[in-house]
Amino acid sequence: MHIAVLAKVVPDYEVPAGDFELSDNRAHSRYTRMMGLYDENAIETGVQLKEKYSASLTIISYGAEDDIPVLRKAIAMGAEKLVLVTGQSDDASVIAANLKMAIDNLGDVDLILAGQQSADMDRGVVHGTLAEMLGLTFIPQVSKIESENGGWKISQLTETGSRDLQFNGKGVFSITSIPENVPRIPAVRAIFAAKKKPVEKVAEVESNAMGIEEVSVEIPTMDSVCEFLPVEDVGETVKTLLTKLREERYL
Amino acid sequence: MKTLIVEIIEPKRLGELVTVSKEFCDTPDIVALGAGDVPGVYNKAWQTEETISANLVPAIAELIQKEEYQVVLFSASTVGAGLAGPVAAKLSASVVSEVIGIEPDLVVRRPMYGGKAVATYKITATPAILTIRRKYFEPAELEGTTAAETLTIAEPLVSLIAEKQEKSEGVPLEDAEVVVSGGRGMGGPDNFSMLQEMAEILKGAVGASRGAVDEGWAAPTLQIGQTGKIVAPGVYFAVGISGASQHLAGIANAKCVVAINKDEEANIFKRARFGIIADYKKIMPALNNVLREE
Ligand SMILES: Cc1cc2nc3c(=O)[nH]c(=O)nc-3n(C[C@H](O)[C@H](O)[C@H](O)COP(=O)(O)OP(=O)(O)OC[C@H]3O[C@@H](n4cnc5c(N)ncnc54)[C@H](O)[C@@H]3O)c2cc1C
Ligand SMILES: Nc1ncnc2c1ncn2[C@@H]1O[C@H](COP(=O)(O)O)[C@@H](O)[C@H]1O
Repeated sequence: MHIAVLAKVVPDYEVPAGDFELSDNRAHSRYTRMMGLYDENAIETGVQLKEKYSASLTIISYGAEDDIPVLRKAIAMGAEKLVLVTGQSDDASVIAANLKMAIDNLGDVDLILAGQQSADMDRGVVHGTLAEMLGLTFIPQVSKIESENGGWKISQLTETGSRDLQFNGKGVFSITSIPENVPRIPAVRAIFAAKKKPVEKVAEVESNAMGIEEVSVEIPTMDSVCEFLPVEDVGETVKTLLTKLREERYL
Repeated sequence: MKTLIVEIIEPKRLGELVTVSKEFCDTPDIVALGAGDVPGVYNKAWQTEETISANLVPAIAELIQKEEYQVVLFSASTVGAGLAGPVAAKLSASVVSEVIGIEPDLVVRRPMYGGKAVATYKITATPAILTIRRKYFEPAELEGTTAAETLTIAEPLVSLIAEKQEKSEGVPLEDAEVVVSGGRGMGGPDNFSMLQEMAEILKGAVGASRGAVDEGWAAPTLQIGQTGKIVAPGVYFAVGISGASQHLAGIANAKCVVAINKDEEANIFKRARFGIIADYKKIMPALNNVLREE
């Protein structure tokens, strides 16, 4: 079994709104680069499947060479190799076409895992687009995967609960977060070993972007002014709060 | 512009998409997913009980092509997320997800960077496929019903073995006027009962941050935020929640936020109308006491 995980390196998604700055319509380049949060859940899921089914695990990313040190963290979590397609498009269709090329090159991939959404574009489109380009089934918001009688038994989270699904064949699943796939912290030994694992760099292929023109990117203003309530006498604090909420007709 | 709505039969979700469709046409067509009558008035209606997106992709793509729709609307939901990418790729269409604003001439707005920025796009090629973020558009009142033709689904690829509905008592989270949410600062699952008690007295609902969900203290269906539920209550109580932008993305339309956090630097206070800098273990029991006595 060969599993591929699609992982994207993004600017620090924990920067608070008040400190966030743009340059050229994108997050300022001064922010630390890190692995997308849901992509880490996908890598963790991939590593668990690898351990359970003795699978091999490849990380695939489309992005800049400078991000290789961040991607090595994914290898340290338990992957064998990294394929980086170098490119800088933000178009979902272009990214998907390039990830497809990397998957086609690998040849024998049985299962492709992605994060539920990237932590910069927050879009949730690349994986489904890729699945269709590969002619594979796409299942979003997957929380658990088991290999069963040559097929897959999958749990999917929905707005109201969860579903158990079954299907045979190759697929692209987007991984959501659950307590069981909180990403592991790689051991120091694994981090050193990851430095020696192979990184394959591939130049991007040309492909058509979607018919979407970016007009502008703006930082919305947050104009709430917080009134802090004194806490010396907690009984008074809560009474004041409730009175204020009622006076202003929020309650 | 010829517009198609694809949505599960649920009046509020349908109503929001009908509202959005008015930006593009007088009366949209619909593919209604699930059993029962199709509420509202449409030019043409199709219906199928299938709700697994992978099984719907071929039939929906074919319909869009055959009927030459220019705009296709899904909600940003499990089924919408499963349809948007594949259907767009099949049709070489343009897709914009998580749309929160619409302007004339196919100009749309969506958040990025966890809501720290908002991008505006002009869609230059149709069909345009949009997934609409919940709670940003007032749901249209759906009067009457429309008779639907069956949408034929080919041999399903994915089969449903079991479905588990998370039990929810009282008001649904998305409709609640009062939401009491707990985060990683709750420190464990047990004290969520304090939030539950308050929600019950105020006829509201309990929510959670991804922090609390990741810890296993709250069900994923309670997660609020960009990748959870979008809520728009009158009052939102954030208890032990740091106020990450991705969490705030779920409460952008809350009228009043009350934050209880022991860290005065916590980002949640930048969004809050009222702030209490304290350990929630002191505040919540006192709040419940006063509410109980009233
Ligand atoms: C693509 C993407 C999507 C995301 N989607 C979501 C989403 O939908 N929803 C979401 O919530 N997050 C989401 N996140 C995660 C988000 O970035 C944060 O990691 C998360 O919201 C943190 O949860 P938290 O505030 O509970 O935890 P923490 O950040 O750990 O904060 C805990 C807070 O509790 C306070 N505290 C501790 N003890 C006490 C006490 N005794 N009394 C009072 N206060 C106390 C602390 O001061 C702290 O502020 C997403 C992230 C990404 C990248
Ligand atoms: N540049 C990229 N490199 C690798 N994987 C990506 C890239 N962009 C998106 N993906 C994958 O597709 C998922 C959805 O991305 P998006 O549509 O941008 O939200 C991400 O969580 C990743 O798993």
